[in-house]
Amino acid sequence: MNFWLHERFKKFNTKPALVGTWGEFSYADLANLTEKIESEFSSLAGKDFTTIGLVGDCCPASVAWMIAAERLQHWVVPLVDHAQETADKLNQIHAQWVVITEGSTWKIYPRAAVGKLELSNNQSIPVSHAGLVLFSSGTSGNPKAMLQDLSNLLSTYESRHENSLVILSLLGFDHIGGINTILGGLAAGSLIVIPESRAPDQVADVIKKHHVAILPATPTFLNLLLLATFDRLADLASLRLITYGTEPMPEALLARLHQVLPSVRLIQTFGTTETGILKTESPEVDSNFLRINDPNVEWKIVNDELWLKTRTQIRGYLNASNEKFTDDGWFMTGDKVEVGPNDTLRILGRSGEMINVGGQKLMPTEVESVILSVPGVVDCRVFGEKNAMVGQTVAADIIPQAGQNWETLRALIRQTCRQTLSTYKVPTRLNLVTAISTNRLKKQRTS
Amino acid sequence: MITRAQILTLILNRLKMLGEELHKPALVQATEQTRLFGDKADLDSMGLVTLIADLEYDLQQHVGRSVSLVDEKAMSRLTSPFRRVDYLADYLVELLNVPKS
Repeated sequence: MNFWLHERFKKFNTKPALVGTWGEFSYADLANLTEKIESEFSSLAGKDFTTIGLVGDCCPASVAWMIAAERLQHWVVPLVDHAQETADKLNQIHAQWVVITEGSTWKIYPRAAVGKLELSNNQSIPVSHAGLVLFSSGTSGNPKAMLQDLSNLLSTYESRHENSLVILSLLGFDHIGGINTILGGLAAGSLIVIPESRAPDQVADVIKKHHVAILPATPTFLNLLLLATFDRLADLASLRLITYGTEPMPEALLARLHQVLPSVRLIQTFGTTETGILKTESPEVDSNFLRINDPNVEWKIVNDELWLKTRTQIRGYLNASNEKFTDDGWFMTGDKVEVGPNDTLRILGRSGEMINVGGQKLMPTEVESVILSVPGVVDCRVFGEKNAMVGQTVAADIIPQAGQNWETLRALIRQTCRQTLSTYKVPTRLNLVTAISTNRLKKQRTS
Repeated sequence: MITRAQILTLILNRLKMLGEELHKPALVQATEQTRLFGDKADLDSMGLVTLIADLEYDLQQHVGRSVSLVDEKAMSRLTSPFRRVDYLADYLVELLNVPKS
């Protein structure tokens, strides 16, 4: 249990901690909310270990629940997805409680699930530690649930020095990058601003209103931010630091950012759900090479692929094999890298089939299984397509049934995908084809 | 040959279909002045990407060759072609090198 965080919240006292559509919350408010949750949940659920699905966007209640779950040594699973995907995930991880958060309020529901899930590698986390379950795109199309030692993760922020910087939190509360921003910022007494929407023009309004100094973002978001604010760049004047990651940064975009925001320092970050976020530096301002500068991280390159071993790596997967880890604990990131001078690295992107839409990742099979469920589709193949606006988009080749009207089928496929999948997974391009260029799908379906 | 008027019709048709799909009445009734992206616009980034992909498909049907609407040059223009319907129509006229009608 991390007593230090609660003590720090009390010390920061009336300093603002979180601001969003629900108003402003001080560190004292957050400490009180955490205590209230601890007491209410303990009397409702008892002291025995349990798994809590935490459904809701980043807000004071979500943050307080995560901290309370750590103090109570439970497992917590933040979920902010599409409703259908959330229900599937709650089932997969045998959540015994669902907490739905909004602003500073919550509702608690029991679920009919029993037992503690075991890790596929037969490891565990210490019983006195809390767990954080995060999902990432699985190779089979089924999202992989992985267990992070939340108590260990939280302890890595204890060394943060106090500051009064204003940070904008853009990445989701179910994303390791988003959680890193929140926990790291709160450990340092920063003010964290949660925008109502991630629409670039509205984010620009929030940056101006709250004098945001630090913006962690994806290259895609920065690309769209420039597109939406080219005639009102003065609104971004408070920015001092932009950290970017989760997808490769195109050099042309980096140059454009330097040109239009000359007083902003741009630093590339790198992390994976499996390893946590690494401390990095960008030695050259106009280059997208980075240097890993983190005492908690070991790295090496094997066949052009980056391998990592970190203090904050996950304990294992709950619903998938440990094949991405070597027996001696190296995580094979799947990211191809280029080695530059003085131990610098350039991230070239994923090898294999994973699609990265503006930093949000998915596997083709997840979308293929939805498209194949549409009446009138004989076969399909989903793949990533390069896109200058959002890095990559989802495209699909479709073989329709004979006599099927193509425009009607296109609309039906899109509609079905929108009802079942998160927005970034919905194919933006559907191609009518007569043959599928790979036999991967047929093999999978018949195996 | 495709005219500006035809291009405009293609854009407005696609916006209408997208508006129906996304339940956004403002897109269904879009005009030349409708904002596509940025302040007071009804499309989010994935909506804009979808519109562009749909238009690339339509234009390919019309001009008989594949057309790519988004590249670094388009993204770095001072007046973005993706902000308003009329800017997009003008950009497509320029891109496809057709006479203004």
